[in-house]
Amino acid sequence: MSRPFPYTYISCPCADMPVPDPARKRKSRESPQKSPQKPPQKPPQKPPQKPPAEQASTDQDKKSPAKEEQHEEDDEEQTFDPRSPRSNFSLYPPEQLLYCEECHQIKCPRCITEEIVSWYCPSCLFETPSSMVRSDGNRCGRNCFNCPVCTAPLAVSTIENATGNGPQQGPWVLSCGYCLWTTLDIGIKFDKPTNIRSQLQKMTDSTAPAALDRSRQGSRAFGDLKHPLSSYASIDEPSNAREHDGEQAAPKEDPAAPPMGTDARFAALKSFYRTQIAETSNSPNDHLSSEFGFSSPGALNRLMSLYTSSSRLSGLYGGKQKPKSKPPVMREALTASEGLQVAQENNEMDMIARLQSPECGWDGMASIDQRATQSPEARFVDDLLPLPVLLRTKRAKRCKSCKHILVKPETKPQSTRFRIRLIALSYIPLPTLRPLALSSSSSLPAMAPTTDLNSLPPLRPIHVLLTLKNHMFDPVRITLATPPVTPGHVTTKVTVLSPQFEIGANSDVWDEALQGASAPLTSDSRSAVLRGVPEAGKVWDKGRNWTTVVLEVVPGTLPGSSAEGGDGNPNTETNDEDVVAVAASKQDEDVLEIPVFVHMDWDADAQLDHQNVGKGSKPDDKVTRELAYWMVLGVGRIQPSL
Amino acid sequence: MPPPKAAKGEYIETDTGNKISRRSQIHGTQHIILGGKTVIQAEAVIRGDLFRTATVPTPTDANTPAAAPNPNTPSVAITVGRYSYISKSAILRPPSRLHRGVHSFYPLKIGDHVFVGEGAVVEAASLGNHVHVGKGAAVGSMAIIKDYAYVLDGAVVPPGMVVPSWCIVGGRPARIVGEVGEGYGVEGAEGVWLERGIGLLDDLKRGC
Repeated sequence: MSRPFPYTYISCPCADMPVPDPARKRKSRESPQKSPQKPPQKPPQKPPQKPPAEQASTDQDKKSPAKEEQHEEDDEEQTFDPRSPRSNFSLYPPEQLLYCEECHQIKCPRCITEEIVSWYCPSCLFETPSSMVRSDGNRCGRNCFNCPVCTAPLAVSTIENATGNGPQQGPWVLSCGYCLWTTLDIGIKFDKPTNIRSQLQKMTDSTAPAALDRSRQGSRAFGDLKHPLSSYASIDEPSNAREHDGEQAAPKEDPAAPPMGTDARFAALKSFYRTQIAETSNSPNDHLSSEFGFSSPGALNRLMSLYTSSSRLSGLYGGKQKPKSKPPVMREALTASEGLQVAQENNEMDMIARLQSPECGWDGMASIDQRATQSPEARFVDDLLPLPVLLRTKRAKRCKSCKHILVKPETKPQSTRFRIRLIALSYIPLPTLRPLALSSSSSLPAMAPTTDLNSLPPLRPIHVLLTLKNHMFDPVRITLATPPVTPGHVTTKVTVLSPQFEIGANSDVWDEALQGASAPLTSDSRSAVLRGVPEAGKVWDKGRNWTTVVLEVVPGTLPGSSAEGGDGNPNTETNDEDVVAVAASKQDEDVLEIPVFVHMDWDADAQLDHQNVGKGSKPDDKVTRELAYWMVLGVGRIQPSL
Repeated sequence: MPPPKAAKGEYIETDTGNKISRRSQIHGTQHIILGGKTVIQAEAVIRGDLFRTATVPTPTDANTPAAAPNPNTPSVAITVGRYSYISKSAILRPPSRLHRGVHSFYPLKIGDHVFVGEGAVVEAASLGNHVHVGKGAAVGSMAIIKDYAYVLDGAVVPPGMVVPSWCIVGGRPARIVGEVGEGYGVEGAEGVWLERGIGLLDDLKRGC
């Protein structure tokens, strides 16, 4: 999901610093390789030296190309490259980032772990208790269904809708409001408008619609079983299951009997194998019949003994000196009532014939996307069944390194509140970007008052307003630094006109209003607006808790239009190999993204975090805290030529 | 991308701070409630005239007391909260439903801090607070978009769909494709527009 210009992304520092997670040993092995290239200490060292150097030579054109190149090579080591494949994994929109107060670090979705707080259906917004989630197959157990054809939600509606007389008793169907599919297309009607999932389940235990009534009758026994994914212990006793077998053996032998549905067959197979295991287990204390089922340690023991006892390896495993008698062998399912399904003799020929028949055609076949969520046998649109809506979760988030909870939403699905929510925007200033619309008195009448960010003319300077909005209750000192030219093939020159500034505290709006301090500020901002010309070393605009600075951007030329590059671009490497390299390079080369290094420090109250006193405490119970990170400003797209 | 600078007098400002373009088409104004500080851009169409009629076309409808509102009170067709933003050429239309053979309109409720993108068609039963409806999106009849949901550009939300909070929906038909971050929508009143870089509010402050 790409964002419209202009956008801002913030790079989580976890890309440079491996998460100190004891559970991950691989990380520690990686770190020595990475550290010579990208030591985590390096970026914070940079900003104090960088901005003055940049400001001293605002006129970048004076630099010789050689010096520029060398400069760029140095920067390759240090500056953040938004185009490098690694940065894909560390760049996030500001609102997605969290902040850990223990680690004093920005946390991205890669530095957290998640825990499920509650499950809910996204359609009816009812919470599903965690005990029910598994038995319902992670799907809504009520009336929520998705269209099997187009995935839109299905609505329960009645067929006889013509008149509004009296309470409606008519049969009910599920209908799609998007593609107008209804369950009538597959011959399913419902007797009552509630509890459709169980109604559907009973019907689809046999998928043959012609024998719907029969199958309802016959599969009731299996319908009484719980869902196959439910806990194993709740299924009927084996003897009980065998009784069912005995009852149904006769009708199942009948070739006209409808085949079992997938769920019923699964349940039958499961009960069959359970009895098999119970019968063939040689030790009375075999725990397979206990509630833990197949996945219990007993199952593993049984398998191990099966293999080791019959092989010569058994001697190695101490316990049994003599090879035991051969364990009784489990047999496989033999009859349909046990869950066996024999492929029909000319099933495939029939299917091919149906594919070729004119009434099926392309539209009659289910697409791969549709089949992916259906039973494996579904090949035609007629075979598609309504899908119960998949549940969604609300999740709590923890810091991966210190395990503190960063986000804890309320369990109720309807609620949008959080018990704990430590988002990065409460700590780091929110960056927003806006092109500076030059007033009509500007010297450039050719330039439109609004710059079209999707086609920036190359080599023509534009001014971009970067607003940083502080959400902390302490004023923050900010230092911005950018590489003089952006990394990548298209080198755009960037200058921050006032790289060092302060942002006011996010104090109460009423405090400010009562103090009357807002009047000079607003008048100041008005005058700033009227001033109209960005100046170096001055902030553009300033408010209660935000500050706007101007970035001067000279977009570079695209390699395709290299004829223009000779004029002003200092590093014009328009030789053939460069062009070839660019041609082979990836797309979106024309997207102008500016890496900006942000260093912020502020005086925080010390009592909140007395354990980290080593940070350099001040006498008045204030601790200077600092935070540094890279952000990427997506300014726009450079147009190929003037 | 900021829109062209608003010409002087392009917007009418109401007592509660709504800014309504003179070039917008608003029908049935007595059936529309704007919460205040809401911006309605040019060529937006708001169909307040499609309200639920108190008069009953068929006498059977009067049997149900819930469906028959008090005829004295003017029924509200569209409610828009505070700090919402209706972009250019967007269409707000109350949802309708055929119920027991009677076609009737239902109110459309739009919460606070809602952004409706350019050319979007909204026919939902409700848009919660901080909802973003992208450019060219269509929200089908009786859909319910909960708080902090995000409808991507060009998405078609099918009729009757419920989009839970914090979810991003996109595609045709729309389905849930992701979740917005926890920090979404906390920036403050004008955050949505600042985030989009539109900044029209500033222009409005100066222009009007």
